Amino acid sequence: MRTLLRQHRYALMVTLKRLLSQPFSSLANLLVIALALSLPLLGASLLVSVQPVARQLSVTPELTVFLKMDAPRGQAEELATKIRKEHGEQTSSVRVMTKDAALKELRTNPAWEQALKVLPGNPLPDAVIVTLTPGDDLADRADKLAKVWHSWSGVDLVQLDSAWVQRLEALLRFARIGLLLLALSVALVVLATVFNTVRMQALSQREEIGVARLVGATESFVRRPFLYLGSITCSLAALIAIGVARLALIPLNDALASLARSYDADFALALPSASMLALAMLAVAALGALSARWSVQRNTRF
Amino acid sequence: MISASDTSKNMIEFKHVFKSYGRGRNILSDITFRVTAGEFVFVAGPSGAGKSTLLKMIGGLEPPSRGSIEVNGQRLDELSARARPYLRRAVGVILQDTHLLYDRSAINNVLLPLAVTGLAPDQARARARAALEKVGLSNKEDMNPIELSGGEQQRLAIARAIVNRPSILIADEPTANLDRETAHRIMSVFRDFNRVGVTTLIASHDEALMADYSSRTFRIDPGKFTDMSGRGAK
Repeated sequence: MRTLLRQHRYALMVTLKRLLSQPFSSLANLLVIALALSLPLLGASLLVSVQPVARQLSVTPELTVFLKMDAPRGQAEELATKIRKEHGEQTSSVRVMTKDAALKELRTNPAWEQALKVLPGNPLPDAVIVTLTPGDDLADRADKLAKVWHSWSGVDLVQLDSAWVQRLEALLRFARIGLLLLALSVALVVLATVFNTVRMQALSQREEIGVARLVGATESFVRRPFLYLGSITCSLAALIAIGVARLALIPLNDALASLARSYDADFALALPSASMLALAMLAVAALGALSARWSVQRNTRF
Repeated sequence: MISASDTSKNMIEFKHVFKSYGRGRNILSDITFRVTAGEFVFVAGPSGAGKSTLLKMIGGLEPPSRGSIEVNGQRLDELSARARPYLRRAVGVILQDTHLLYDRSAINNVLLPLAVTGLAPDQARARARAALEKVGLSNKEDMNPIELSGGEQQRLAIARAIVNRPSILIADEPTANLDRETAHRIMSVFRDFNRVGVTTLIASHDEALMADYSSRTFRIDPGKFTDMSGRGAK
């Protein structure tokens, strides 16, 4: 165990020495990987910031069931009871809005006041306003319920307020897929950069590798410094990428703040949580080590 | 150090070994010999006869095309790729080109085989210094190999080969391009190691130098192997 630890310490020292012996080349590699990593990081920041807002918006979707104009008085109550009975587990509230109550509410709006005065009677139907329970499949559920209720007798129209929710969800799905593709592209960039860095290092250390094998070095001993090189380069690049993304969010949030204020809202982009960033860093370091392993295996066959 | 009872132990055994590259002619044909612990053997012959190939096969650096080789009690053809490096630690190899690393000091060249084994740094440094002292380079440990003379570079390569205390030492033309006095100094270093029980094989085409040392000699001429001592494998 001690021997293995000493060999790891030796590999680590060799790696740091090699990195420091070519400072400009090492820095250039770090920056290329860091800039590539900062792009999906900014994308992830956007996604993790928008997702809770979207979720908040879609937790109170309402479906309005309008009855036919000639529907008998009291049918709205019957319909509300039926909805509570048959779909109670999918609804969080069901309330009746009679045509009289609706007209009264409309009259309080100055924009409608004049128009309503010229009408001979109440043009509004009785309605039942249903609030659905929140969930991931909300849009689909709302769609299905609207179709069922529309088929019930006395129902004229079911107004589905979830179209925009569907659009938003589709947009977020699109963003998630886009982010995944971006992350995959960046992973390829990282893979290629580390592969090439390790290839160059392996070629320049050809003599040392040959001597090490001559004096009894195992292949693990030969590979170890390169694996450290890959993972250290990627970890440092990930740290730089977090710094770059953090800096980029400052002007982006400034611009966003004034836009949000115009909607009387408060919104800002934030980096993913520390645990997520740590996990991402680990994944990038593992990717670096993997790429280095592949490269060293291919480029030290001499 | 080996005891008297160990001297009969086979350290190297070749049985009907052939070596050729590709489909070309055999460089080495039907070679059979046995070297016991503590022996000092010269491998003589003209350049290109296959002396280096023979030594590389002993070090596990070249596989035979046919036949079996046993080194330090292990059959090389049965040795897994994982086990091969451990055999190399038991065989100190000095190639014709010293393969010294010019990006580090003399002592750091000698420290590399010890890093490979994972020896503690203080012990490794002490052992590397002792190896440099044995070859007469203790006052040059911080110098870069490029600053050393040809003979000193050769001695540094020997120090690197013996620092892991191998039981077998093989050297390919270690005195080539050296003046007579330096060549003898190098040979006396090998003799010293042999005296403490290290089985030593030295390839050389310098007949005059070999004549100065009474030793068992293998002669390799193109396509022909002769054990000048008259001893066979059986």
